[in-house]
Amino acid sequence: MPERPARSFPGRPVADRLSLSMRASHLLVVLLVVAGLALAALGSALGDTFYLRLATEALIYAGLALSVDILLGYTGLLSLGQALYFGIGAYVSALTLMAVPSFWLALLAASGATLVAALIGGVIANRVRGVYFALITFGLAQVVAKVVYNTRELGASDGMIGVPVVEVPLGPFHVSTGSAPGFLLVALALLVLLYAVSAYLLDTPFGRVLIALKANERRVAFLGYSTWRARMAAYVLAALVAGLSGALYPMLRGFVSPELLYFQVSGNAVITVVVGGVGTLVGPIYGAILLTVLKSVIGSWTEHQLIVIGVLFMASVLFLPQGLIGLLRPRLARWLGRAEPPPAKAAEAEARP
Amino acid sequence: MNRTLLLGAAAALALGGWTAAAQAADPIKIGVDTPLSGTYTPIGQQVRWGLELAAKEINAAGGIAGRQVELVFEDSEANPSVAVQKAEKLYQVDNVDFLTGTVNSGATLAVGQVADRNKKLLATSVSFADSITGAKCSPNVFRVNAKAGQQSAALAVWLKQQKADAKVFYLGPDYEMGRSTVAAFKEAAEGVGAKTAGEVFAPLDTKDYTQYFGQIRQARPDVIYTSVAGNDTVRLFTQMQDFGLLDNVQVVGASGTVTSQNIKAIGSAANGYVTGVGYSPLIDTPANKTFVKAFNAAYKTDPDLYGADSYGLLFAYKKAVEAAGSTDTDAVRKALEGLSWDTPQGKKTIRAGDHQAVTDMYVVQVKDGKFVVADSIEGDKAIGPDACTRF
Repeated sequence: MPERPARSFPGRPVADRLSLSMRASHLLVVLLVVAGLALAALGSALGDTFYLRLATEALIYAGLALSVDILLGYTGLLSLGQALYFGIGAYVSALTLMAVPSFWLALLAASGATLVAALIGGVIANRVRGVYFALITFGLAQVVAKVVYNTRELGASDGMIGVPVVEVPLGPFHVSTGSAPGFLLVALALLVLLYAVSAYLLDTPFGRVLIALKANERRVAFLGYSTWRARMAAYVLAALVAGLSGALYPMLRGFVSPELLYFQVSGNAVITVVVGGVGTLVGPIYGAILLTVLKSVIGSWTEHQLIVIGVLFMASVLFLPQGLIGLLRPRLARWLGRAEPPPAKAAEAEARP
Repeated sequence: MNRTLLLGAAAALALGGWTAAAQAADPIKIGVDTPLSGTYTPIGQQVRWGLELAAKEINAAGGIAGRQVELVFEDSEANPSVAVQKAEKLYQVDNVDFLTGTVNSGATLAVGQVADRNKKLLATSVSFADSITGAKCSPNVFRVNAKAGQQSAALAVWLKQQKADAKVFYLGPDYEMGRSTVAAFKEAAEGVGAKTAGEVFAPLDTKDYTQYFGQIRQARPDVIYTSVAGNDTVRLFTQMQDFGLLDNVQVVGASGTVTSQNIKAIGSAANGYVTGVGYSPLIDTPANKTFVKAFNAAYKTDPDLYGADSYGLLFAYKKAVEAAGSTDTDAVRKALEGLSWDTPQGKKTIRAGDHQAVTDMYVVQVKDGKFVVADSIEGDKAIGPDACTRF
């Protein structure tokens, strides 16, 4: 048996600050799941459908925000066109469902199409950095949106209606996409899965390379890592997260329209990430829920809801550099960290006789 | 003991009577899912004014079947995704049985599907895509305004009256809607014997239309049809005037090409322009004069077709609910099918086969910077065949 490097705490890996913050994020996701289950139970007890379906929509947009955060928060790439993959996922899912009403096939087709699109888009967008990357992603999404807007086979400007309500086979269970609490749980499960996969991948050495890319891309190359490959992988991962989230949209609302590909959707996702907390993965999820609910509630009593969102966005940028989740997560991380002494102190403790 | 029983019975009776009275006096809520912000705000504003004026008049006259009308507004932001969410809210949280106000055709189609799934009704007074009461018709969706096909059919009938075999040149904006409006009018015009001199599609927001003028001049058209809109119309018309292209040519177009919003900017270049519409504030009937006067008194501006069609819609709903005796979806749907009612622009009838209102069409012409009614076309001549197969 090869000798393993000595650890400060035998049998118990010491968590650095990053892992502690991630653990705090996980805890917040668990909280979200509990809240989601409670909401589904409460909603079905009260016979509500509107609020449950609004929550489902919020979770769908949360997936899109998660995708933006993978790029912006980890790799440091600002994408202004993430609606492209959200929209591709939605359109392909809608087309598949209208041909063959199968939930899993729709998800499969949507992720396949998103993968192909992301590989093409990634090759184009990853040639440049910084503001040029933002502009290229913006341009790509606009081009595809215009093409969809003008393609009669895709419903052109009117979009496509008539996406059927389908059954979601989940092992021994069946949930209909038309059942408000049932589909809320499906959306929640998919979001948690996307979160878990992203969080896992970002915690691997690959994830650390991404964080290094954000800090200083030139040095990463000197360390012997391929920056292009890492950026590309992050881009494709983010696109898949967006595409799979988008695939749920037509199942919920029964239609797709070119507006799903517009800058408004991409821009909203960026705002969501900034308000929620950049680079926290869980922040954008809470941000999406907050903004979707806020928009719906405020929108009902004033048509100036965008002013409220705008003020919230500016306030977040000015006063909450870590977003709303930044108010909570560091405390949670500290609390988690108190359970085990921080590495420096641990090493100190070990050095003492 | 006896007394308490009696008191209890009296209380129960009173309470029962009170709830019954409350039910009869419960307002009828109507959902309005219309753009109050964004690009289509001016249209949403007209929809709102038209509906509010109608509601005020109906309520002053005793309401619908003795119940007051209450309008519940939601901002659709002219985005189908938002409109659908708001429609669900109106149907499920506000419990409205009847919804209107959708503007862009995509929103009307998507909200129509929400109406279907909630077993409630939707009527649009604005969207004009033929598919709404055609290929994508729905049993729960009605349209009280003129669809695109009616507008082009009316214009084509007028064209035939003016010059039987006119040579028409088509200039449309290069996007799906522009191409489909041109295709629709071309079909209508060729149907009445007009010849096609040529066609060209210019990108949206074209700054310089003169690049197409050589092509137009060479084709020597009698008539130029265009379906550009907004500021594009301003540039196209003024440039055509500068290049002398408007001499001896009749310019016709879609109803949204020259509007009260851009007519001032176009100036004298708009003179002579002709289009087919379902409404004009200048229609010379007593009913319309009263309506325009009331609208002006309330909102200090003239109603446009959106305001007028929305105003008229509420009276159709009133008549249908009173005939049906309830606001129940199936009963009201049945009452609306084939319903004839009076509106500012004359009698309208909802065709039972596709839920499209048959309405008299008007040909309006710009004279000295103002629209005047040049002609009217009977509703039956412009309605076209029933293309709905779903019900």
